[in-house]
Amino acid sequence: MLVNEARQLLSRVGSVAARHQLRAISNGTAQLEQQAQPKEAKEPQVKKFEIYRWNPDNAGEKPYMQTYEVDLRECGPMVLDALIKIKNELDPTLTFRRSCREGICGSCAMNIGGTNTLACISKIDTNTSKSLKVYPLPHMYVVRDLVPDMNNFYEQYRNIQPWLQRKNEAGEQKGKAQYLQSVEDRSKLDGLYECILCACCSTSCPSYWWNAEKYLGPAVLMQAYRWIIDSRDENAAERLGKLKDPFSVYRCHTIMNCTRTCPKGLNPGRAIAEIKKLLSGLASKPAPKLETAALHK
Amino acid sequence: MSLSLVLRGAARCNAANLVKSARITPLKSYSTLVANAQRRAVVQPLALAKIAAPVVREISVSAPRMASAGGSHTLLWTVERVVSAGLLAVIPAAFIAPSQVLDALLAVSVVIHAHWGVEAMVVDYMRPSVVGNILPKVAHIALIIISVATLGGLFYFIQNDVGLANGIKRFWAIKGKDAEKKQA
Repeated sequence: MLVNEARQLLSRVGSVAARHQLRAISNGTAQLEQQAQPKEAKEPQVKKFEIYRWNPDNAGEKPYMQTYEVDLRECGPMVLDALIKIKNELDPTLTFRRSCREGICGSCAMNIGGTNTLACISKIDTNTSKSLKVYPLPHMYVVRDLVPDMNNFYEQYRNIQPWLQRKNEAGEQKGKAQYLQSVEDRSKLDGLYECILCACCSTSCPSYWWNAEKYLGPAVLMQAYRWIIDSRDENAAERLGKLKDPFSVYRCHTIMNCTRTCPKGLNPGRAIAEIKKLLSGLASKPAPKLETAALHK
Repeated sequence: MSLSLVLRGAARCNAANLVKSARITPLKSYSTLVANAQRRAVVQPLALAKIAAPVVREISVSAPRMASAGGSHTLLWTVERVVSAGLLAVIPAAFIAPSQVLDALLAVSVVIHAHWGVEAMVVDYMRPSVVGNILPKVAHIALIIISVATLGGLFYFIQNDVGLANGIKRFWAIKGKDAEKKQA
């Protein structure tokens, strides 16, 4: 037990004193050494977390901000660690989505300190004089606490048909052979396929706030572009045809909040601009460098 | 041409704005509608219970155009970009070599550029779901009237007075009462 305590100390402070103490404990002189423990290591580093709360079961209740105090010395470095600690130790009713805790699933997207980002990969600001405010993704319907309703977002994603489409479906038996793609053509998908659909960008976009039911939003548009520009996909014209109305793409006013907030460092604003160029004919989709269906013959 | 472009964009955005029923918006498939209904039921259990009236269809006098589903916005977007880029050349040209033709070009391009900008604001901020069905239409019509009146006024000034570029130059040349004293 004491050894564990000392080990925790070691990881937290990493001071020579603690290391010395661990050695002392293993030698059985713990009692004596413990009094020489550095004082600053004991001081808790209490950070205030102000978290948006709303429970649909409490009829008529308005959303409110609840403050929790977390000792950062007893907590992991990321905001998600703090949220899990609060849920485990302080308030089991706090509700939020989380899964992978390493920035690859996109579940824990929320508004932290005024920025849409993933709780699992955003560090807690160790300045304890300021509290950290955590809200659900902006301008989304809230299901409960930090859980937004993603139905419209997913419906929009379904709407762009995010799968490979071929003209000659009958002649190319599925799973029989690969479609060929040159290295150069493949590199066009870099910066597009990495999107995890966390909706940080879409919910940071004022155009999406105002017209979410008609404007597709940056995340979905970037995926639309990912399929349009894929050299193996043959339905680029049909895909573009679906986007030429005044709202689906053209509500983008190049505000660029999307690119600024993306926790994966992607650039949806550029992808939307590329779609606009393709639509207006200022650019056109290049022919595949390799004959994509060569192995099917 | 400019007027037709103005009216074209307005008609499109207006129709999209005003006729806000489920069959107009392309994305509201059946599943979304169900999801929306569920969502609202989840979000406002009390309010829903209070207003337990049967669903009333919204009545609109506008033609139920599939404004956001059909129609191409690409030509208008391209023209917008051309005008924006053209302003970079037209504005200096009109001031360097003032003439009625360049003044007219300046007036048309600046007015239509501003019109499209304000129109985007009207579409974004005068949404029927927020301000009701009448205000967006009024705002749009008012915007068209203001733009047309501005253009007309500028044409009148170009035709019957010193012209746009020269007029602005004269404004710039106005000096205060003390200016002559200082020079002297």
